[in-house]
Amino acid sequence: MKKLAMIPILLILSGCNLRVLDPKSQTASDQAFLIYLSFGIMMFVVLVVALLFITFTVKYRETEKNRHDIPKHEEGNRTLEIIWTVFPIILLIGLAVPTVMITYDVSYIGASSDDNALHVNVTGEQFRWTFEYENGEKTHKTLVLPKDREVIFHLTSKDVIHSFWVPKLAGKIDVLPGEETRLKVTPEETGTYQGKCAEYCGTLHADMRFETKVIKQAEFQTWLSKK
Amino acid sequence: MEINLFGKLILLPTDVIAAWVLMIITGPLVLYWLTKKRAWPVIWDYATSTHHRKIGTVYIIFSILFFFRAGVDALFIRLQLITPENQFWVFQGDKYNEIFTTHGTMMIFFVATPLLIGLMNVAVPLQIGANDLAFPYLNLVSVYLFVTGGMIFFAAFFFNAAPNAGWTAYAPLSTSTFTAGPNNNYYILGLQVSGLGTIFAAINMLVTILRLRAPGLKLTRMPLFPWASLITSFLILVAFPVLAIALLLLQFDRQFGSQFFMGELGHPVYWQHLFWIFGHPEVYILALPAFGIFSDIISAFSRKNVFGYTSMVAALALIGLLGLMVWAHHMFTVGLGPFANTFFAITTMMIAIPTGIKVFNWLFTMRKGVIRIQTPMLFALGFIPTFVMGGVTGVMLASAAADMQYHDTYFVVAHFHYVIIGSTVLGSFAGIYYWYPKITGKMLDDKLGKWHFWLFLIGFHLTFFPQHLAGLNGMPRRVYDYTWEDGVFVYNFISSIGAFMMGASMLIVLWNVYKTHRKKEENAGADPWDGRTLEWSVPSPSPEHPFEKMPVISRRDPLWWAKLEKKELPHTENHRASPVSVKTVQPMFLSVALTIMSFGFIYGWIWMQILGGAAALASFVIRAFNDERKPAYEREEMDNEQ
Amino acid sequence: MSSKTMSKDLYGDKRMGFFIYLFVEAIMFSTLFATYIIYTPPQMGLYPGELFKLHTVVLASVFLLSSSGTLMIAEKGLDRKNARMILTGLLITFTFGATFMYFEVDEFYKFISEGHTVAKNNFLASYFVLVGLHASHVLFGLGWMIVLLIQRKLLPFNLFAEKHRIFNYYWHFVDIIWVLIVIIVYTPYLF
Repeated sequence: MKKLAMIPILLILSGCNLRVLDPKSQTASDQAFLIYLSFGIMMFVVLVVALLFITFTVKYRETEKNRHDIPKHEEGNRTLEIIWTVFPIILLIGLAVPTVMITYDVSYIGASSDDNALHVNVTGEQFRWTFEYENGEKTHKTLVLPKDREVIFHLTSKDVIHSFWVPKLAGKIDVLPGEETRLKVTPEETGTYQGKCAEYCGTLHADMRFETKVIKQAEFQTWLSKK
Repeated sequence: MEINLFGKLILLPTDVIAAWVLMIITGPLVLYWLTKKRAWPVIWDYATSTHHRKIGTVYIIFSILFFFRAGVDALFIRLQLITPENQFWVFQGDKYNEIFTTHGTMMIFFVATPLLIGLMNVAVPLQIGANDLAFPYLNLVSVYLFVTGGMIFFAAFFFNAAPNAGWTAYAPLSTSTFTAGPNNNYYILGLQVSGLGTIFAAINMLVTILRLRAPGLKLTRMPLFPWASLITSFLILVAFPVLAIALLLLQFDRQFGSQFFMGELGHPVYWQHLFWIFGHPEVYILALPAFGIFSDIISAFSRKNVFGYTSMVAALALIGLLGLMVWAHHMFTVGLGPFANTFFAITTMMIAIPTGIKVFNWLFTMRKGVIRIQTPMLFALGFIPTFVMGGVTGVMLASAAADMQYHDTYFVVAHFHYVIIGSTVLGSFAGIYYWYPKITGKMLDDKLGKWHFWLFLIGFHLTFFPQHLAGLNGMPRRVYDYTWEDGVFVYNFISSIGAFMMGASMLIVLWNVYKTHRKKEENAGADPWDGRTLEWSVPSPSPEHPFEKMPVISRRDPLWWAKLEKKELPHTENHRASPVSVKTVQPMFLSVALTIMSFGFIYGWIWMQILGGAAALASFVIRAFNDERKPAYEREEMDNEQ
Repeated sequence: MSSKTMSKDLYGDKRMGFFIYLFVEAIMFSTLFATYIIYTPPQMGLYPGELFKLHTVVLASVFLLSSSGTLMIAEKGLDRKNARMILTGLLITFTFGATFMYFEVDEFYKFISEGHTVAKNNFLASYFVLVGLHASHVLFGLGWMIVLLIQRKLLPFNLFAEKHRIFNYYWHFVDIIWVLIVIIVYTPYLF
């Protein structure tokens, strides 16, 4: 019964609070911005097409009157064709430029800007995660991070490919065997966020989850030293 | 199901047992029904004939069969996901993984691709005034390879060994270290055999289009479906060999101890490169022929020529070309670095430009026309908005940084179902309704066709639109379970309802076919749709070698202008030799040989590999001494001596 | 059907189809070349240069490449409808091809008996797949030549000539692949 009662609540929640569009870090906000931007541009395209589509299908439907008409032969129209070639190019440039900028921004390239960055080693294996902090402490189910401090993840896998994903903090980064991938992120709000494996990795792929707790820096220090 | 027998725990795969039981019951019934209907001579005719229409029909029938099979898989997937923490039948964990792998692989390789090749087989020779495909014998071999590959893959489930590494078979999960057992060997061998058939079909199609066109039918006067087939064939020739080698390397990893794709010594990402160098062009292999079908249908049912023909052809070529250099957009999250990522993001976005040109050209083909809304046109009309929605999410996905959020979530699942169902499946349905009279001489019922369309289209949007939102809310793909807290229940629930609507619509198709063939109706005539292209100038169903007197073509849409001017198409004596047809059982023999060899490799039985391999080679020798052209060449020699 | 141009038309179709097929083969081999380049030299195990023997490569190449030349004799014979030239050309080519196969099999046998197998490392694995696929092409070609030798008497000349010419393209193609193998697989590690 309790579960049934939750249905309407979940309905409302799910409508306006999609995780990817509710970013809690700069990285995720950048990505959400790109999503909104591309969605906006694309909605414009959809509208234009829909408008033409509806107009033409309604206006030129076969009726009793035009049943035997022979439409005029029409090879094409240079001007129109140029318009619908050039216009999308402009729209796409409008999307491509921010895409390039943000892709460079969110990718980890070499040195960290922040000496104070926290380094976390993440190891994926079938079917659990291991998070190892700088002092050698390890956790599995929960990843605890300090607020407002840059975190650099060093990820590697013991077996197959996994993918590390905390939707509210950043996009995915694959976790490969025999190779280290990196991801940087700075959480900006405290809270508990879902984390998942996003690359199909075998029987219990669906259960390869973890919780991400972002807490205040002071609390984080005590938590880390207590462990 | 678990049974405790004398203190031993036995695991029974109830789904497999159910399938066996179902087959044992229905199998004899079907055989009895076929015997009673005296269908065996017809079946034998279709199994041994090299006539392009019959081969095309076999392609279509088997693809539809596989479509039902993979569709049932999809329904099981949706039943398992209908509520959070659900336990439907056996479909959790590995069984779920098997079922989505089967669904994906089968839909791509054994439904979408062969369905389009089947339609090409039926329509392309007639549209370009060719008497048959250039190599009729090879054509029969191709269809046998497809059916053999499909059946090998199909059989896996009955031996409780369905592949379970996803249709992309990402290594190292797909190597024997992590998925032991024969399961993924079925994937490798099934695709290898059918892939070879696809390559042969493409060679056949290319030579036919380049060399067998009617006099005067320049490439620039060809309808757009042959054009799309031409470019698609080229893409197949580039993409499928790469897949063949990738599968070969994977097979070495699985069976002979090499480590190409293993973590320590090899490169797991190399598999992804190879797979997507094949896989992305494959997407266009599926989409372009559908574009061609829609171009022809929209033009015919608007009673107007295609708007901007030249740019339509250029757009097809450009999409094909760009499609070869965008593969890494499937790999934005593997850490290729921002330079590679942005490069592939931009090439991907560029594809939107020619695609946009096509969409606007279709719209302007309809403008000022007379739009007759019958079933094929209805599918074409449904295609435009559906495909545009899939296309725009494609551009969203191309945006590399944003894709890191979408990647491997239900957003991607929604996107590719929008494009593939939107183009390929709707296109194939449209094509089947459109050319059905040319295949059988009968028209499918228009009213039932419309019911099929609306139920399918509404079901489709119900199924896949919510999946965008589920993906944005953090639901990864390929999970058999989710929790209440994930907040994706409603989307999944709606999705499952939609899936059953799509399933129901397919029953209407069956009913429609049954109803059409039950009546002893008179022939639909050569030109039931008031068509514009050459295929409507020959009788329905199309006879063998229909163009013994060749039509002479002087412009596009020749039939239309001939009808307007109330004249016959001008004819000439055949200007070149026609391909030689033959009735042969040799491909059947090859198919048996390859089946034996494949099972040898799947289970590692060396004697079977040798037996099957030797038999397959023997079929080459048999063929070498039984060339169907021998009598014709002998006659020619005698004629020339006189 | 006009019988004047029939064999010409059908041969034209077949030649184009076969060229396209060779294009497919070329893509397969280029994928394998790429694989070889990626995995060579290996992270562990013997360096390729310590494995390859210069004289095997040179001898094998001499025989296979000259077999392409001797096949020209048969080709001339086809043009002149000279049965003896066809027979001589085919027989010499077959002998040279078989000699090449001897060197190949010998090399493979030595590698495997010394423990350099597919499972050892990825350089060896890609070497065996690439060179092995080429060797199986040569082997298939040898079988094809036997078939042609028998067909000589059984088929009308035009049909035989057609099949023979198609085989010639195949054999030259296999030779070109061997040249690439020598350049990409052996040369960088032999000197």
